[in-house]
Amino acid sequence: MTPDPIDQLGARLFESARNEAIPSGAEQRALEAARLEVGQKPREIMHLSQGRTWLAAGACLALAATVALLLRPKDASVGISAEPSTLAHARPEPRTAPSAAPRSASSATSNDAPPVAPSLAVTVKPMPSLQPMPLPPAPASLSDELSALKVASSALSAGDPKAALAALDRYDRVLKGQKLRAEATLLKIEALSRAGQTQAASTLAQRFVEQNPGSPLVDRARSFVVQ
Amino acid sequence: MAASRDEVIAPPSKASLRDDSRVASNGLTIDALVAQHYGFIWRVLRGLGLSSADAEDATQQVFMIAARKLDTIDPDRARSFVYGAALRVAHNARRGLRRRREVLEDELPEEPEPEARGPEKMAELDQARRLLAQVLDRLEEKHRRVIVLAEIEQLEVPEIAVLEGVPVGTAASRLRVAREKFRAALHAMRDQNPFGDEP
Repeated sequence: MTPDPIDQLGARLFESARNEAIPSGAEQRALEAARLEVGQKPREIMHLSQGRTWLAAGACLALAATVALLLRPKDASVGISAEPSTLAHARPEPRTAPSAAPRSASSATSNDAPPVAPSLAVTVKPMPSLQPMPLPPAPASLSDELSALKVASSALSAGDPKAALAALDRYDRVLKGQKLRAEATLLKIEALSRAGQTQAASTLAQRFVEQNPGSPLVDRARSFVVQ
Repeated sequence: MAASRDEVIAPPSKASLRDDSRVASNGLTIDALVAQHYGFIWRVLRGLGLSSADAEDATQQVFMIAARKLDTIDPDRARSFVYGAALRVAHNARRGLRRRREVLEDELPEEPEPEARGPEKMAELDQARRLLAQVLDRLEEKHRRVIVLAEIEQLEVPEIAVLEGVPVGTAASRLRVAREKFRAALHAMRDQNPFGDEP
């Protein structure tokens, strides 16, 4: 008995569906997203495939930069260049002689920022509402960590290694970042090197190489080791 | 020495995520769940009408849901759990797609598959999958589901009954009706046979 042609066609259609290739890397991406979900609160950004996730993470950049400005260290020499004048009012330790404190090379890019009035800098006490933000209680998400590193990377690209170090300090101190730890360390090595602290960069790079022999970043780190 | 941002800020490596795998109180791990059911869920979602890219996103969502509820999943019913989650995610995804189609009118072409086949064969398979999707679109949802489970996933009726949460007899009769309707729909569209032979 000859098989029905319609049935044969149906069988071939189903076979084509059974043999369809799953997009390359899709399973691994799902696994990584699911693993992150186990350890974190659900975040909308993780509901996207890889390319879309990176785009969404970019949207966090502006927020991260604002947070970085608010959390910047008291020492202006390692601050991020765009300095809102209101932050000067919040400094817990007012400067007594602003004219005697030359701007560091790293803050040369902050020429566009409005100058701080000396009288205000001396007399105004810190406003409680402008105190540095408290540390977040929850572990940082991947997008938070990514945003912090983007700030650092952008500062490096702009030739401001001290601002990059400040952002990386925030990554360590505030976010207590872990998920992108290797990438953060490599950025710090590069920032130290560009800031002229080649010995510190070399020491950190050497340690990175020893502790992460299998990392894909190890060759890059090794290039900073001073023999 | 200057590195681009892409070089420096890479996505988390497999090694950095390796320690994140956790064993739930019921013994399940998300790694095992993904390994066992990823392909099944992705194909089911394709069978339910999602594009390859949308199926990937939706499958990811399914396993994120599973990860959040890992402790509550009965290990003996893990496939039912992810299947149920997939149906809900697919429902929402298709609702979104309908809204998108109202704006775009035409779907964007799907990415070509990385299959090591000739262009003619790939075009033929692509047409076959499109025709299958069109035929399945003509079925009621419940019939579509059982056809996908039976013909694409090649599950037996008792397995389909478990996944669908219906008695075996109901699953069997639903599948019979689904096959009849599928056959009728395919007959109506037989002129689109991509394989060149006359059905």
